[in-house]
Amino acid sequence: MINTVLRFGLIFILLVLLQVLLFNNIQFSGYINPYVYIMFILLLPIEIPSWLLLILSFTIGMIIDFFSGSPGVHTFATVLSGFVRPYVIRVVSPKDGYESGSEPSMVNYGFRWFFSYTLLIVLIHHTSLFYLEVFRFTDFFRTLFRVILSTIFSVTFILLIEYYRRGKN
Amino acid sequence: MRNLLNFLTRYNNLIVFLVLEGIALYIISTGNSYQNSRLLNAVKGVTRGIEQKIYNTSSYLSLREINERLAMQNVALKNRLEQMVRKENPVFFSVQDSVYKQEYQHTSGEVIDNSINRQKNFFTINKGELQGIKVDMAVISPDGVAGKIVGCSKDYSVAMSLLNIDFKLSARIKSNGYYGSLGWDGRDYRYAILSEIPQHVNVSIGDTIEATGFSAIFPEGIVVGTVSDYEKVGGDFYKIRVSITTDFKKLHFVDVIGNMKKKEQLDLEKLFK
Repeated sequence: MINTVLRFGLIFILLVLLQVLLFNNIQFSGYINPYVYIMFILLLPIEIPSWLLLILSFTIGMIIDFFSGSPGVHTFATVLSGFVRPYVIRVVSPKDGYESGSEPSMVNYGFRWFFSYTLLIVLIHHTSLFYLEVFRFTDFFRTLFRVILSTIFSVTFILLIEYYRRGKN
Repeated sequence: MRNLLNFLTRYNNLIVFLVLEGIALYIISTGNSYQNSRLLNAVKGVTRGIEQKIYNTSSYLSLREINERLAMQNVALKNRLEQMVRKENPVFFSVQDSVYKQEYQHTSGEVIDNSINRQKNFFTINKGELQGIKVDMAVISPDGVAGKIVGCSKDYSVAMSLLNIDFKLSARIKSNGYYGSLGWDGRDYRYAILSEIPQHVNVSIGDTIEATGFSAIFPEGIVVGTVSDYEKVGGDFYKIRVSITTDFKKLHFVDVIGNMKKKEQLDLEKLFK
């Protein structure tokens, strides 16, 4: 139990640092802003109580907001992602169901499962984030374009990190 | 019974979810508007130490280029000074005369944090209230308009970049004086849009666009950019794409300009509104 808490604490810190020091500084014409920290919400154990998931999502959103100078926007998006995660997990469930006490990872449920799981949540997160950031529906399609491009990059980076993790485990 | 329990647990989560989203929305609604920059300032305060460290390292690598630009700016300023001194005969110049009262006050600063990739970009300057910076002062780079101050702490201030979809500036075409409203459309960090120029006006590519000084924030005549292309929109107006002269990817040394007569101008204007 304490081991798990420590491990996720470490993942939390690593992802925040990665996001703030590396990915926030990628300035690529304003269309591509990968947000990789959302991976923290993806990796939490499947059977985590929903309220804890929501509070952890809230916390990481607040911290990213602090470092990006964008009060509230990330918080809203992450809490929404944390809220839909159980439903997404139910929707993409593998043929023979989930093992009890397992974590949603590529090792446990394979590449295809992890890919669709990641894609869905990142898409929800980025859509709410980008539209909330602009806060208007003019230029609807340009914001959509930004959502799609950034989603592609975020998912790619998350899969790469997950692949590397798999190699280590 | 089990159904009821299931329902209750789900309902519980909904409540937690709604409360947390409510907090987030509250923060967004109070903190995101640039007039209320207190939160932004507090937020920036936490990360400022880290930013300054990153900035110190990265600025060291571009010192040579910065030196060259500063030297060029110096030459240009010396030339202007030369012209001024010729024009005014110092013998008849009285310091007490209110006509000659200094109108704009300059403070130099360095940009220690900047972004160009968001829709609402801000940058941080290493000067604050103690150095006389106040909200609503203009920020210019050696090449032209850069932004305006939206919040100050003791030693730092946050400025809204020209690259912010909320930033609006009254600007005119230098050659004929027709003015319109200039803003960023959130697309390319190199271009801004000047609108409300009537179609009977002669516009040509390469025309200089400069600030009008109507807002009492930017001094009249500060360059914004040059006309890159234009098209007709609606029946009456041009939409002019302006190539911004300030390179926001290299924004480093800036001047903060305070208008010392601003209060006088605004107070007078208030009487007629």
